[in-house]
Amino acid sequence: MRDLYKRLGLDPRAGEVEITGAIERCEHTALRADARTVLEVGSRREEYDALHVTLSDIGRLRARLGLTHAPYWRDGPADDFSLPPDTHGSRHDELMQRLTRAALLHNRWQRLRGPWLAAALFALGIMLGMGLCRWLP
Amino acid sequence: MTIARFSPFELLLLKSRHQADTAALLLLAWVLANRGPIGEPERSRLTELTGGFRHGHALAPILEIAATQDLGAIQLAAEVLQKEIHGEQASPFLRLAIALAVEDGKLSMANQHVLRFLADLLGVSPGEFAPLFEAVAGRAFADPDDPSRSGYWQAKEHRRRQREQESQRQDDRQHSRSHSGREGSHRRKEEESKWQQAGGREQHRQERYRQEQHRQHERGARQDPPPGDRTRRALAVLGLEPGASRSEIRHAYRRLAQAHHPDRFFNAGEAVMASASQRFQRIRRAYDYLMQVS
Repeated sequence: MRDLYKRLGLDPRAGEVEITGAIERCEHTALRADARTVLEVGSRREEYDALHVTLSDIGRLRARLGLTHAPYWRDGPADDFSLPPDTHGSRHDELMQRLTRAALLHNRWQRLRGPWLAAALFALGIMLGMGLCRWLP
Repeated sequence: MTIARFSPFELLLLKSRHQADTAALLLLAWVLANRGPIGEPERSRLTELTGGFRHGHALAPILEIAATQDLGAIQLAAEVLQKEIHGEQASPFLRLAIALAVEDGKLSMANQHVLRFLADLLGVSPGEFAPLFEAVAGRAFADPDDPSRSGYWQAKEHRRRQREQESQRQDDRQHSRSHSGREGSHRRKEEESKWQQAGGREQHRQERYRQEQHRQHERGARQDPPPGDRTRRALAVLGLEPGASRSEIRHAYRRLAQAHHPDRFFNAGEAVMASASQRFQRIRRAYDYLMQVS
């Protein structure tokens, strides 16, 4: 499937006026005819948009998972919906990193809980005492 | 240092007894969500199909996540599945996905692409996936339709109109059954119209066949133009005027082959390299031809 919005230089959320303008400006006759058939009729555009969203999602997923040159994508939707490879890295690795960090924090808390609690209690006691001395008489 | 929040799917994955099954479940729910709204029958069907899964948590949160089409969650599930499932293990999962996708008789366009994505994800080649689809769905795995072309809409609306006519005809038939007197003439008319339709279709097919033959003929004619023309075009590929000498041809070929050699574009990406190799092929074919002729 072709990405008519991309080929017409439009945003997928563009209104009817913008679409009509872009179609009139387009110089490619076949593309103009197709865009007129698909985008200028409300029900057709809705159906087209639904598939457009799915394909964009799949294109993004494929870019992130390194599947942009897989056999089922190579010659077909790949022309219009492929994105440059994503360097965000794996979500799974990121999850593992976050888990490790959470575990580390938890461990540290377990280890330092005693001294920290004692220090906090001591400080609280001093503050209370100071407050009492200051304001009571 | 702040502890980053975990998303609902990440929490589910951490709680799960079998991560691959949780991931597979989310991807199956994604297939379901691409088929249409998820109701009670879909939910019970999914529970029934995934009876052997060992995830050990509720299904409802998974369906909720899938209904929102959360890309992050789907990516995570895909990664987990890719890590855990390889080779032979892929086909049971793909079977489930296909069964869910074709449940209500037709394969939605979104699911055609989703199934292709899942096949690629698990490293199942088209040559293996097509028979698998045929075994589960009972029909061939067709190429996805292209709704960005007007032809798709014309065909679709034509089909709908035919269906409407058919249902109208059925109504008529029921109507005529109640008036049994007119039944005979009605049926005859109906059959006549059917014949006409069939005849029209046949004619259409023949016409198309003729057109195709005509096109093939044209193509055939284009394949062997007069020899002088081919020499002239081969010379034009090398940027030479008609009547160039052998040494001139060789010189031009060396220069162009150096400029367009695909190895020079190795760093510029696959697409550029492919186009360079096409140009190079053209140049070499032209040179080979000219060397044979002159």
